[in-house]
Amino acid sequence: MVENILNAVAAGLIIGCLYGLMCIGLGLIFGIMKIVNFAQGELLMLGMYISFYVVAGFAAIGVLGPYVAPFVGALVAGPVLFGGGALLHRFLLTHVSGLSTAARLDQGGFGQLIVTLGVSLILQNGGLIVFGSTPESVRTPLSAKAFIIGPFGGDTMLFLNQARIFACVVAIVIAVALWLVMERTRLGKSLRAAADNPVAATYMGIDVERAYRIAFGLGAAITAVAGGLMATYLSFTPFVGLDYVIIMYSGVVLGGMGSILGAFWGGLLVGFVQQVSALVLSPQLQNAAIFVVFLLIVGLRPEGLFGRSAERA
Amino acid sequence: MLEVRSLSVAYGGLRALQGVSLNVAAGQFVTVVGPNGAGKTTLFKTICGIVLPADGRVEWEGSSLFAKPAAARAHLGIAHIPEGRQVFRTLTVRENLEMGAYPEAGRAQWVHTLERIHTLFPILAERAEQLAGTLSGGEQQMLAIGRGLASAPRLLMLDEPSMGLAPAVAETIFERIAQIHKEDGLAILLVEQRVAEALELSDYGYVLETGRVVLEGPYQSLLADDRVRRSYLGLGDENE
Repeated sequence: MVENILNAVAAGLIIGCLYGLMCIGLGLIFGIMKIVNFAQGELLMLGMYISFYVVAGFAAIGVLGPYVAPFVGALVAGPVLFGGGALLHRFLLTHVSGLSTAARLDQGGFGQLIVTLGVSLILQNGGLIVFGSTPESVRTPLSAKAFIIGPFGGDTMLFLNQARIFACVVAIVIAVALWLVMERTRLGKSLRAAADNPVAATYMGIDVERAYRIAFGLGAAITAVAGGLMATYLSFTPFVGLDYVIIMYSGVVLGGMGSILGAFWGGLLVGFVQQVSALVLSPQLQNAAIFVVFLLIVGLRPEGLFGRSAERA
Repeated sequence: MLEVRSLSVAYGGLRALQGVSLNVAAGQFVTVVGPNGAGKTTLFKTICGIVLPADGRVEWEGSSLFAKPAAARAHLGIAHIPEGRQVFRTLTVRENLEMGAYPEAGRAQWVHTLERIHTLFPILAERAEQLAGTLSGGEQQMLAIGRGLASAPRLLMLDEPSMGLAPAVAETIFERIAQIHKEDGLAILLVEQRVAEALELSDYGYVLETGRVVLEGPYQSLLADDRVRRSYLGLGDENE
């Protein structure tokens, strides 16, 4: 029993870190730029398939070896989706977000819903045509290996899947890097300023459309990398995004809108609850457990765990 | 330095500005006064590129501003301190100032201008790490002015800096604006509804009514004008 709890907690933390990275991507797009992106799950799915094709299709395994290749595959998904995300924003979302909607009554909210929902459906069904419906996974020898810690106190042992551990470490590194970019650099601050008040940002000389494009591209890239990393331990189909888009939104809202760090902790908490609840609940109820915790926290702290109120008390 | 030539702006069928001409020379303090809806804010928004003109020209140091997109105009040395302050509420006070210094000139002189801003408004140094949205109205106005100064501009455009402020706070703001004009030699274009205070500070004034300049002249002559005295200063005709 102790062993089960210990292993569930460890798995929760590790998967939580990957969820955290996934949520940071949406945290940028939804939490900071306030674009309601329903297609975020599909960006995750594309990240998984890009990683899969880099590893299997381009025989990266042969060149880079079975240990490094899956991580390179995941990281390749980043730049590809950054470009894709920026283009998507340039040609579709620019009409329903940012400066062009700053003066509109709905601030572009309704337009975004329909546009991104449409993109989501196109990517799902397009994925079905291009990738097929057979579940795929990125196989690495690490997937079947575990670090074994213990035994301590009798015969309790902790099994840590190596593929997940490495994915988790990469996720944390990327999350910290992005946080530093958003908090410390001129680029990051200008993205936040553009989202906060697009008209005033223009008066400061910030090219708001460009800022939105970069932020959307970054958010897409981060979620795609998280997808590429998650692909090393689970199997997926073109519809995998549906399972995760709601998790992402709950993570971002839990952590507190507008906070990169908050999105990470929110994602971590969601992953943790999901894994640990498996100890007592049947797998079908895991997502329900997430929402019980979600409602509790949002009920007690509507601004989210890390939300800072920017209004005068 | 800034020349507005017979500028017209229309929203839908509504003419907000009709053939407005106006000049700001280097180092000059110019005030535009007028009632609500006269087109003062529209004038500013057109100069800054948020609103498109129907007709006319705006020239900055001899070249047309309309050739430049809105975001590029801040880089030319024009700082716009908008109506309603419009600080970045979710950024800290310091980050707001850093964003003011986004243009090249602002970055080059950052250390110097930050020191200057803190001398003018010590409260901004005290509150550096606080989110701008949590500041009081007066403090937000100080931050908005500081943010404008951070770009190391040659022209400071202020849109109703006293709006919504208590008289004492508004007075401090006017004092600082006068100080910036005198000590830093900045050209200032001020739009105000507090006509007496605004005109008192300025070298030259324009009276804008329903989209037209109805009166212009040096401060002395405007203050002596009967129409200005009656409509804006609430003073009766001395001859009556």
